[in-house]
Amino acid sequence: MSDKTEAQQQSGVDLKLRGFKYAQAKQPILKDLELALRPGTLTVITGSSGSGKSTLGAILAGMLPRPGLDSLDATLVVDGQTVEHTAVSSPRIDTSAWAQHIGFLPQDPGEYLSGIRETVKEELVFSLENRGMPREMMEARLQSVVNQFGIAHLLNRDPAKLSGGQERLVALAALVMNDPQVLVLDEPLAGLDSVVRKAVLKTISSLTMTEKTVVVLVREPIQLSTQADEVFCLTDNTLASGIRTGAPRKVDDAWTKVEAYARPTSEILLSFQTVSVGYGKNSPPIVENFSLDVRAGECVELTGPNGSGKTTLLKSAAGLIVPMRGNLSRNGKVGMLLQNPNDQLFERTVRRDVGYGLPKGRRSASKIEEVLEQLALTDLSDVHPYELPMSKRKLVALAGVLVHEPDILLMDEPEETLDQRDALTLGSAVQTHTDSGGSVLLTVHNAKK
Amino acid sequence: MPFFQKLHPFTVLSVAIAIVAVTTAIGNVWVSLAVIVLCLAASAFAGKILKLVALSAAIVLPAFASQLLIHGLASSGSLKLTAEGLSTATALGLRTAVLVVAGLLCALIIDRHQLVAAIDLSKAPPQLGYLVAATLFLLPQLAERQKIIGEAQALRHVHFRRGIVGWFQKARMQAVPLVLSSLEETSKRAPHLAARGFPANTRMSRLRTVPDSRVQRAIRVSALVLALIGPVLILIGLQFGAVA
Repeated sequence: MSDKTEAQQQSGVDLKLRGFKYAQAKQPILKDLELALRPGTLTVITGSSGSGKSTLGAILAGMLPRPGLDSLDATLVVDGQTVEHTAVSSPRIDTSAWAQHIGFLPQDPGEYLSGIRETVKEELVFSLENRGMPREMMEARLQSVVNQFGIAHLLNRDPAKLSGGQERLVALAALVMNDPQVLVLDEPLAGLDSVVRKAVLKTISSLTMTEKTVVVLVREPIQLSTQADEVFCLTDNTLASGIRTGAPRKVDDAWTKVEAYARPTSEILLSFQTVSVGYGKNSPPIVENFSLDVRAGECVELTGPNGSGKTTLLKSAAGLIVPMRGNLSRNGKVGMLLQNPNDQLFERTVRRDVGYGLPKGRRSASKIEEVLEQLALTDLSDVHPYELPMSKRKLVALAGVLVHEPDILLMDEPEETLDQRDALTLGSAVQTHTDSGGSVLLTVHNAKK
Repeated sequence: MPFFQKLHPFTVLSVAIAIVAVTTAIGNVWVSLAVIVLCLAASAFAGKILKLVALSAAIVLPAFASQLLIHGLASSGSLKLTAEGLSTATALGLRTAVLVVAGLLCALIIDRHQLVAAIDLSKAPPQLGYLVAATLFLLPQLAERQKIIGEAQALRHVHFRRGIVGWFQKARMQAVPLVLSSLEETSKRAPHLAARGFPANTRMSRLRTVPDSRVQRAIRVSALVLALIGPVLILIGLQFGAVA
């Protein structure tokens, strides 16, 4: 074995996890898994929603276990230093120092952004500012990362007003700014349009070329699987190693099906006539002169790159934004599924949440049960929505929309965060809706082929 | 760049502190009125006069009414308006008004991001910048979250009545999701903030620059000296005047 290989063996991260259990959970969410991450490699870990991918990412990032709450029995070796966790005690980890070795991008990129910086530029250098890096060095590093990600046009924007895809891209760039040796990325491609997706894939490849270790956590096998050094599948609370997927499979099979459901009839339920929309009178319109008719029985996709105004259009269709110009008419009741399901959840159980806003009574109760069954949520009806994985939360939010029996169903990036099974459930719900004479207008960041 | 943006936030604050301290010590109705007019003129220059008048009125008018009630009407035991009581209530009310108007003017013309950057770049402990940032950004973040909750409720066909009853109904219906979602967001964001080194435990640097100059530094020192010594000198002068 050469010296270089020995050095590589010593550096990197080795995880031997015997069990991890969340506070008050009866069963461990992860058990008996081993992971060796070497410099310059790409590891892809797949698994359905709720399989424990994000938990694994948070353990690697030193964010779990939470002291005094969760139980982790594991040995973690980072760059030759051993951290021993036992079921009864875990060493307290300085997450800031740890993050300079292992950086973690969460599934919801908004959680990674500080929320206290005025511009994207300042958000990107946030970690460097906290470390006291001189301004000249920050500017040089900023320039390099901005060129790498192609986000020069976003630098002076307010991070709180970015689109979902732009937010993810900025969060990823902010993580790269911190320059950790190991990058753990939870769903890094979700919500990105094809151009940005290519840029991120290229960045991931270039990171491994510079001896960085990249771990990608995804629901479905992605293009990256073909260029990954190792592909694992997280199933039954453990890692099944060496599962290669061969040619990348289309993630959005379920959605191509949805398009086939379109059965346009003559009745127009939603009509945009040269509509211009934006935020505030003093801001320029985000979308100008947009015209579209959505008919009963029809499912229409709005596609466009990140930040092109798809959400703004849907919000105007829902009546949340008044158009600046043009005519917008709705011929029926409107319901809308927001991009982030967390924004739509209010109650302490799934059943109560679905019934939120409905008048009390037997009819409402039976309607709630019907929708829960339609979306395969009956078994989860007494669970707190925040205890569910993102994929299920999205279905709960959708149930809360469907229970009001809208004629026009608006869905903002519905495929984002949904796993294969839930995407099929959603597809089936859309089919039922269009079959019964309703219409669907949804946004996707990439056109389906 | 607007004029007030060219000023270091500490310059604006130190001048305001000096003005409030000296005006309060002088305790003269005409001086207080002159300072208030000056503040209104400054707010007009910054294009914030309507906001300043509305916010000040909301605080000053009830305060002035209570002074009037205590000193103008009820001081003699009977509910009778006396010239002396009215004069005392006016003097005290105007002192309060100076403090309120000057404070609100600072809040309106100082950019909160500039203020946090100024604290971060000062010799103050990094935790102070964190504290100020957390305080200043909490309300706008809550307002943004409340807007999202309001939109989501509208989408769930939850509508509120107009008027004061509707306002209370809305507050009741939005308070619980607002608190819960804010707690959820905070708990999710906290580990990532910690991972990004926030709050800093060493001296921070900032990409943002805060305008400053030798003249501004001199103004700040002079204003703080004036705020400390001015009231003492004025009170001593008033004592001597009374004895003479």
